[in-house]
Amino acid sequence: MKKKEKIKLYESLFYIREVQEQLIKKYRQGNKMRCPMHFCIGQEMLPAVLRQLIDKKDSLFCGHRSHGYYLSKNGPLNQLFAEFYGKKTGVSGGMSGSQEMMLEKINFYSGALLSGSFAMSIGDAFSKKYNGKKNLSVAIIGDGGMDEGISYEVINMAVMMKLPVLFICENNLYSTQTHMRERNKNLNIYKKLLPYGIKTSFINSNNPEKCFLKIKNIIKDIKSSNRPVFLEVMTYRFNAHVGPESDDHYNYRSNKEINSWKKKDPLNFYKNKLIKEIKDFENINMLIKKKIKNKINNAFKYAEQSKFPNSFEKFNYQNTYSKKVKNFYNNQIPFDEKQEEHKPKASSPY
Amino acid sequence: MKSKFKRKLSFADAINEAQVQAMKLDKNVFILGQGVEKGAMVFNTNKNIEKKFGSKRIFDTPNSEQAETSFAAGAANAGLRPILIHQRVDFMVFSFEQIVNWISLWSFKSSGKCKMPLVIRAIIGRGWGQGPQHSKTLHTFFSYLPGIKVVMPSSPSEAKGQLLSSIMSNDPVIFLEYRALYNSSEHVPKEPYFLDLSSPRHRLKGKDLTVVSMGASTLTVLKAAKELSKINIKVDLFDLRELSNFKMKNIFSSVKKTKKILVVEDGWKNFGIGSEIISKISESGIKLAKPARRINWPNSHVPMSSVLENKFYFDHNKVIKSCLELCKKK
Repeated sequence: MKKKEKIKLYESLFYIREVQEQLIKKYRQGNKMRCPMHFCIGQEMLPAVLRQLIDKKDSLFCGHRSHGYYLSKNGPLNQLFAEFYGKKTGVSGGMSGSQEMMLEKINFYSGALLSGSFAMSIGDAFSKKYNGKKNLSVAIIGDGGMDEGISYEVINMAVMMKLPVLFICENNLYSTQTHMRERNKNLNIYKKLLPYGIKTSFINSNNPEKCFLKIKNIIKDIKSSNRPVFLEVMTYRFNAHVGPESDDHYNYRSNKEINSWKKKDPLNFYKNKLIKEIKDFENINMLIKKKIKNKINNAFKYAEQSKFPNSFEKFNYQNTYSKKVKNFYNNQIPFDEKQEEHKPKASSPY
Repeated sequence: MKSKFKRKLSFADAINEAQVQAMKLDKNVFILGQGVEKGAMVFNTNKNIEKKFGSKRIFDTPNSEQAETSFAAGAANAGLRPILIHQRVDFMVFSFEQIVNWISLWSFKSSGKCKMPLVIRAIIGRGWGQGPQHSKTLHTFFSYLPGIKVVMPSSPSEAKGQLLSSIMSNDPVIFLEYRALYNSSEHVPKEPYFLDLSSPRHRLKGKDLTVVSMGASTLTVLKAAKELSKINIKVDLFDLRELSNFKMKNIFSSVKKTKKILVVEDGWKNFGIGSEIISKISESGIKLAKPARRINWPNSHVPMSSVLENKFYFDHNKVIKSCLELCKKK
């Protein structure tokens, strides 16, 4: 990797971490962000890597733990925070909150119910193939979502139809508070997929550079072969399943396990690596921190100052038609009572 | 002008023609589903489409209703106009999650910025010995849900125009085809045409009583009305197109005039479209001369045995009986 790429990767990791931490800090202040949030502290590696490797025209579909991926598609921070505040200027105009955001201009889509967004990626990839575009669709799911049957239906269809999709399972071991081993005989999801005839890959390392290089190759492969690939990445969430407070008092995971993963914190690991590798890294890091903290403060201000939306019903329907529809037939033309009556054949029960 | 009304088409052929014309009008239209280009070609509605447009635009899928639905949703969001077909509505139930949690709220949760222009065609209703897993209608399940348009045509001319409108609609449409209608035939204009889905078609004009029906029940009412006209009872018949949203204006003015309302609906009685129409009339404050009436299926699953099947479904005689009772003077 080039020095510039390394710094960018570090910056992305820091950016995603810092956004989470500041949101956690502000969440209870004045109770202005009134929606459930699934933070991704500890899981920043994948979104940080993707931020550098995917194109604006590539689509990204993910689940409820979406903040990192929104940022990997370079979604505007102001709109993100405004959505959390329920403001009109938010990503989804205050209709969705943190767990349902979507922004079509950056091809970013998410939703709370585990596998649904992941599954839509195949239709998106089909549209790219249908229109002869070279882009791909990235579909991200957790290990919990991979318990749902549709995930396997979708992978099968992508294989059979040769669709350019990068399926990624972020395996953080827990579905809310239920461990993988309580839910599955086979703890490696990618191994379950081998009989489907999909190329699989597995990353069990919090070294962002290893992840970067592996995904770079996978994307190249998908673009040249027009075939899907399934990648499983082992990771760990440091924060609670949902909300700013810890949920470790429920004792669903051991301190030993938590500490072993915290020692492998991808951000710390990478910072220490770059301190050794890059001479002026401390200075560079200071500038990055300053820039990002500024950006975050501005986003909070923007969200606070934005207005609340005042309507919601009109969003349920578009009530529009394709441009091909010029006009509708008047009710009476060509249909009138003189028209011959509807005559079923004898075989019909009518 | 008159010449174009002369040609007759079956319900199945009208659906076929609507699809072919939509595919010609817009290259983004394509068809998918289980066995859609094989065997009986979904009651002949898909015949010759593969020959005309190739396998890129009509293709078979694995038996994965959920994945098929997500596939269609993802493609629609990306600007294509998929038509997903289920040979029986009962199979569509597999994809409840995709319809309820994703497709129906796609526009809403993007505050109107994202479109979901897809059509799900599903075959419903009475066949021949189809039993409880092959003959449901489920139309009210979906009509209850914001963000989805549920459309149910009653005849070939309606089917063609409604399907063309549904395919070109920027909202998701569930298009329900009553199985017993496939063989019915009617004059259908040749050129592509679009119908305003939210305007019920005023099928018959009459002064004695107002009847509202939809899908195959419209055919039953037409048959009954023909008999009734012989004894000089004239039915004012409204045929619904979109069940999830329909304009009540003309129905209200009709009921104001006749003071009698009958709703005929193939499907279970409780929480049906009939309940909705009668509530709306009641809320409007229109005074009725006789209590409102509904003809529906019993609140039961559908039996297979032909004897019980005949007992289960209503026919035009039941409609005639209800109309006579409503029109009786004291």
